[in-house]
Amino acid sequence: MEQNHLVENLSSQVQSFQEGFKKLTKADSLEDIMKNFWRLLKANFFISDIYLYHRNAPNSPWENLIPQQIVSQSDILLPKERASSVVDYDNHNYSAIITFSLTDASEIGIILGVKPDNTRLTDFEKITLQMLVQIFSGAYESFLNQKKEKTLIFGLNEKIMQLNNLIDAGIELSRFDNYNSLFEIALEKITSLTNASSGLITLSNDETGSVESTIVFPAGIPPENIINSGFRIESYFNFNKKNYRFILSEKETRKGVTNFNELDQLLLNAVSKQTQTAIENDYLLKQSLEKERIEKEMALAAAIQQRIIPEQLPKIEGYELSGINIPSREVGGDYYDCIDLGNGIYAFIIADVTGKGISAALLVNTLNAALYSYLEFNLPLNDMVDKLNKLIFNATPSDKFITFFIAVLDAKTGNLDAVNAGHNPVLLIRNDGTLEKIEAGGLGLGMLDLGLPFKGQRLTLNAGDRLFLYTDGIPEAMNINEEEYSDERMIDFFRNNSNQPSLEFITGMVNDVKSHVNGEPQSDDITCLILKKIN
Amino acid sequence: MSEEFKFQSEKAGDTLVIKTEGYINNVAGEKISRVFSDESNINVKNAVFDLEKSKVINSIGISYLLEVIELLSEKGGKIIFLNLDPTIDKTFKIMGLFQFSQTADSLDTALKDLT
Repeated sequence: MEQNHLVENLSSQVQSFQEGFKKLTKADSLEDIMKNFWRLLKANFFISDIYLYHRNAPNSPWENLIPQQIVSQSDILLPKERASSVVDYDNHNYSAIITFSLTDASEIGIILGVKPDNTRLTDFEKITLQMLVQIFSGAYESFLNQKKEKTLIFGLNEKIMQLNNLIDAGIELSRFDNYNSLFEIALEKITSLTNASSGLITLSNDETGSVESTIVFPAGIPPENIINSGFRIESYFNFNKKNYRFILSEKETRKGVTNFNELDQLLLNAVSKQTQTAIENDYLLKQSLEKERIEKEMALAAAIQQRIIPEQLPKIEGYELSGINIPSREVGGDYYDCIDLGNGIYAFIIADVTGKGISAALLVNTLNAALYSYLEFNLPLNDMVDKLNKLIFNATPSDKFITFFIAVLDAKTGNLDAVNAGHNPVLLIRNDGTLEKIEAGGLGLGMLDLGLPFKGQRLTLNAGDRLFLYTDGIPEAMNINEEEYSDERMIDFFRNNSNQPSLEFITGMVNDVKSHVNGEPQSDDITCLILKKIN
Repeated sequence: MSEEFKFQSEKAGDTLVIKTEGYINNVAGEKISRVFSDESNINVKNAVFDLEKSKVINSIGISYLLEVIELLSEKGGKIIFLNLDPTIDKTFKIMGLFQFSQTADSLDTALKDLT
């Protein structure tokens, strides 16, 4: 009969137990579970003194969780050693003292005070207490599983996030605008990827070791705090005589800071490598763009120069005339021409602009245009050169000038008026082998404008006389030992070979220069012109 | 880049509006968490996080935000994020934060949505 009554009572409690289990499993911390369990005990036993204890492992001290007390009964009542399933209903001062182990080997202690009527616990109450202990154990296991599941899902998502962020970092780093933003992005990415508290990148001179710049994340943290951190990892690379050093400090956890792990080091190395690749690619791209720009400029300069250099020289009765211009790879500012002024009058010009490339080519273009204009006015030669000087002086910066030679020939008489404005001496070999140098004139065009007149020189060409105009690309052509072709060798060649037909002489001169340089790249334009009076 | 983490919080009824500035990491997460466990905010059901001035978050910071989301979800509340940096937006998607929260274009829209 008493047995039936007990079963009946327990049946009526089932719903209450189920609700209790639900409440316990909803908790998201041990403290919450204990609090809910304490309330459950209070609701089932009309006992004012109910104490709950917890310890992480056997032999570790019990912690009085609920209610918080200064003096704990645990030291007196609960066992120090392993306490699985201790049940004591016989203590005179307490209704029950129970300890039990949980699934994670931690232990729970329960102390129930005396009932208000000072009676002992009934069988029903003892069974209820045991049931509640079982419910607590189950709920705690469920809580642990949920926690494990959450941790597992969070950890998996975190790994996916790390992989995704690493890929994104590579893309972002490859699209950087400037080096500051590159380092900021790299630092932000790697600091968050590894849960570092802070990080820095230093850029220093590879040879001297002097630090040129330091970028810190989060900004405001003193760099020495990161450099001297007890928990840090590093990575570095060198490129173009610069050292790039990455340091991360203090890996964060919910419980504080700790050492970085192997994965963190791999991630840091990966971001460091991505940064290096971005810098290298940027450098190569800039080099390639610069090369492309120079090549375009050179092509344009060559086009301008080739437009000005005459395709064909005029035929002058009683004379032989040949010329050549071989532009160097960098395209210098050499120029030569022979202009038919009518009535048997011809102008011979050779010039060399300082510098190379497009600016030199454009200056030659200006000279050429001005020259054609002034020649129409039939001015005295030195006045015309003075006007050209003023024009070039006003049109160019102080470091730009033109060495220039002009001679006007009356083909019938052989009279030659010449002005040499700073150009290499023009060589004249008379029929009898005498060598003359035509140097009279003044400074190069555009060097100074002091109003000093250019001097002219008049001479007469006779049959068999040979005039040789050239630029410094011939005597200064160098071989691998940096030995110049030289004025002496050039004059010797001129002296010994200028009796050949003019075209053969020009070809022979070029070949002689080539044999001297022996395959070395041509560093300057080679330009020359020969005029021979036949009869 | 931002300096040390800062944030402002303002209560509008049962909604807490939080504006952050700087790296959301462990320290920042603790600060945010403390606001929600504060006695004066016990009746807070909803939260609006304006992350306009936070461009970087780590997984510890995310774990604190997840806790706030869980806390308010249990109270039947909502969490809305504003001004998310594209990287943070993507990170939140991967970490599953948007299963229990949403984004809005402005604070007004967010507050209207919560009323």
